[in-house]
Amino acid sequence: MDRENFLKNFILFFIYVILLRCFYLQIVRYPYYYQLSIKNCIRTIETGIPRGIIYDRNGRILAKDIPSTNLVFVPYDIKNVEKEIEILSNIVNLDKDYLRKKLTKKYSNPFDRVILKRNLTSMEISLIEENSYNLPGIFVQEGIKRLYTFGKKTSHLLGYLGEISQSQLEKLKEKGYEMGDMIGQDGIEKQYDEYLRGIPGGIQVEVDALGHQRRIFGKKEGQPGNDIILTIDATIQEIASEELGGRQGCVAVMDPRSGEILALVSNPSFDPDNLLYYLDERKHPEKPFLNRVIKGQYPPGSIFKIITEVAALEIGTIKEFDRIECTGVMEVNDRIFHCWKEEGHGWVDINLALPFSCNIFFGTVGMKLGVSKLIEYAKKFELGKPTGIDLPGEASGYIPSSQEADPLNLSIGQGPITTTPIQLLSLISTVANGGNIWQPFLGKKIVSPKGEILKEFIPNIKKTVYIDSETLDILRKGLKNVVAFGTGGRANVEGLEIAGKTGTAQRASTEVGLPTHGAFVCYAPFDNPKIAVVVFIDYGSSPHAAEIAGKILKRIFLPEKIEEKDETETQIFEE
Amino acid sequence: MKQKLKYLRNSIIEKDIFFLSYFLIFIGLIILFSASKGVILTKEGFFIKQIIWVILGIFLVRIFRNSDYRNLEKSIYFFYLLTIILLFIVLLKGEGRASRWIGLGWFYFQPSEFAKLVIILTLSSYLSRRDVKRFSVLFTSLLIVGIPFFLVFKQPNLGTAIVFILIFIGITYIAGITRKQLIVLYLTAVFLSPLIWAIMKDYQRERILTFLNPMRDPLGKGYNLLQSKITIGSGGFIGKGFMKGTQTKLAFLPEYHTDFIFCVLAEEFGFLGVIIFVLIYYYFLSKILEIIYISKDSFGKLVATGIFVMFAGHFLINLGMTLGIFPIVGIPLPFISYGGSSLLVSILSVIVLSSIEKHSTLF
Repeated sequence: MDRENFLKNFILFFIYVILLRCFYLQIVRYPYYYQLSIKNCIRTIETGIPRGIIYDRNGRILAKDIPSTNLVFVPYDIKNVEKEIEILSNIVNLDKDYLRKKLTKKYSNPFDRVILKRNLTSMEISLIEENSYNLPGIFVQEGIKRLYTFGKKTSHLLGYLGEISQSQLEKLKEKGYEMGDMIGQDGIEKQYDEYLRGIPGGIQVEVDALGHQRRIFGKKEGQPGNDIILTIDATIQEIASEELGGRQGCVAVMDPRSGEILALVSNPSFDPDNLLYYLDERKHPEKPFLNRVIKGQYPPGSIFKIITEVAALEIGTIKEFDRIECTGVMEVNDRIFHCWKEEGHGWVDINLALPFSCNIFFGTVGMKLGVSKLIEYAKKFELGKPTGIDLPGEASGYIPSSQEADPLNLSIGQGPITTTPIQLLSLISTVANGGNIWQPFLGKKIVSPKGEILKEFIPNIKKTVYIDSETLDILRKGLKNVVAFGTGGRANVEGLEIAGKTGTAQRASTEVGLPTHGAFVCYAPFDNPKIAVVVFIDYGSSPHAAEIAGKILKRIFLPEKIEEKDETETQIFEE
Repeated sequence: MKQKLKYLRNSIIEKDIFFLSYFLIFIGLIILFSASKGVILTKEGFFIKQIIWVILGIFLVRIFRNSDYRNLEKSIYFFYLLTIILLFIVLLKGEGRASRWIGLGWFYFQPSEFAKLVIILTLSSYLSRRDVKRFSVLFTSLLIVGIPFFLVFKQPNLGTAIVFILIFIGITYIAGITRKQLIVLYLTAVFLSPLIWAIMKDYQRERILTFLNPMRDPLGKGYNLLQSKITIGSGGFIGKGFMKGTQTKLAFLPEYHTDFIFCVLAEEFGFLGVIIFVLIYYYFLSKILEIIYISKDSFGKLVATGIFVMFAGHFLINLGMTLGIFPIVGIPLPFISYGGSSLLVSILSVIVLSSIEKHSTLF
């Protein structure tokens, strides 16, 4: 019975404590709390969250936060909407309808500050300060803005920041994301957002009737985000971007020994400082936000002949010196099949067929091989499958089934087959290193603001394909000759041995919607491959793509011999 | 009419446990109605949803009010296992985030709420046949509560975890734990805590520190606490009047209809309302104490104790945190806060209590 009574007294004691506390709050401190309650004057102000810095492999800054000034308002404190819109629209370059929509919207917490405009000019700031008496509830607030050091040159690689959307918020709410947060919307900024974003800080203040700060109740220091070091080499990124110039297409550079991406450029690109202009799709039918390297799905064209050759030599369908006559045309089941060279290549073996990219030769070999073998080898080299690169939204491409494809078209990379440029870069790297399929990657290290390494990404071999050394020798020799005297001649660089393959596809892919494109994949130096490059030119020719790749390699390996922009620019669209 | 009044008077004097809990639910609905700004069909619709839960609860009472609580002993280990599995699923699904729910279409339920009642029944059943004074028995009891405690703590749901500890202490105390055992348990906890503190990660420590001192996080819990105090304090002696609270109507408190429901009452009905409310709640709790006194079998006594600790713990912790004298742990006020899982568990507990009372007077 003692113990039961103890329970009772225990509870009674705490009930007294609670009532005493209520007495204190509701009777003793009543005037104070009542005052606070009628004025509704407690505000929470978030201070900017410094986001992590993005570095290239050599420590050059690609993106960082810099201070900026924002225009904000407290929905509850806006008393005369129309008057304030009138004044504001004269000061800042904002649409009246936009202002009205923002100011009159229902907010879940009407005391939270909402950003009206970012990056105010000093003129705007002084005008707002001057009119502050007529603009109750509207303030200038210190904030931060993201600076992309290389601007449009890295826009697809790094992505951009945008206010969190409703659907993103629902998914990320439990990770501490809140309404109005800026989060990465594409590229590295999106992929590594969780690491890059900091923990928001803020202060809790008492404000007067005009919304001006009077007393601070509490303060929380924000915690800056972590920095990320990429595999990207800013110098190569710049070279790639410059050589691609204003052409529509893309370039990616990779280390075939590890899968580290050294450069990734896609055109047309967007200016991360002026997103609104680019986000209007009607003005930009060429899709400036499409990262062609990972999302562009193109037929591989003649680059696929690498697969056809490996399959034929490995299976033994053909020997090194077996010859086939190319007359420029061949007839299969009432269908006429053309070589790209009308007069034909004459009698060629595989050592000549690859450099000249002879369609008749590879078509004949492909028919002997059969569709299912071609598909098997394409899959062996992971074509038609996302490479797993650490960027959001990678497309997979498409490998047709044996019912959909015919061997003649498939052996030269035409028909329903599509691949992404990054897959073809991975393919040429696999040839360069002798059979290892590395997973392409961009994130190298994540470093905390204090300098500790939080995470290190190690190169990952996804798969090793066995290729006979004899096959490899024949293939590599052929690829070298593509540049030495074949279709990729314009990639030739004096003093550097390059091996590569051109590709042109007549059929448009649904994604990009273009009639033809030129492509080139290559690696160098031939004896000790260190760099692999892929170049795609929408509306362009493959020799032109080869030329760009050559220039890029030249500037990487022989930097002192930079040439002036030459006069060949005019003839680039000729085959 | 006269008969009805007489019935009402008898219900109050005899402390009819169903009548008392319905009365609390009724008070809860009044406060919730005010909290929903008087709009019955709000976008969130929590007032209407709560009414559906209440109807479901009354339905449960109709079905089970004559059943025998001793039948529960047969299947209690099955329910215990099921609870552990559900808590585990919640934990996996949540991937370490603060997730407490399992969704079944429109209906979400919180396994951690049901876990409280299941633990009470399991531990009581175990201890009613064994002597807690033996250390091996005490150790097994610790395990029975420890496993679900760990799963709930990981969610993280600190409030429910604390209630689990209270239930363990309450039941073993009435079961006759010795002073020596209590000291051993206490010392173990004291010596283990710095060890656990040492192996915790930075962010986990930060969470505990914020838990102990909400003002460390002035934008989150600190903000809630300050607003909670303003809301209660501004109620004064007689309050601002029903439906006239300004603080809660302006959405200063994001969780005013669940964990901070007491603020609505304190703001609108003032100190006077608070005293009356606390007395009514104490009247209900004292009824459970009576059931503990009169119950003749050990199982019933321990179950009643566990349920008493659960209700009293929730009541004191919930009020304590809204008043700023207890860390903000986020647990509801039984019968009053919005929430189906909490309400159904409270009603099921009352059904069990009523059955214990009935069988203790049968002899």
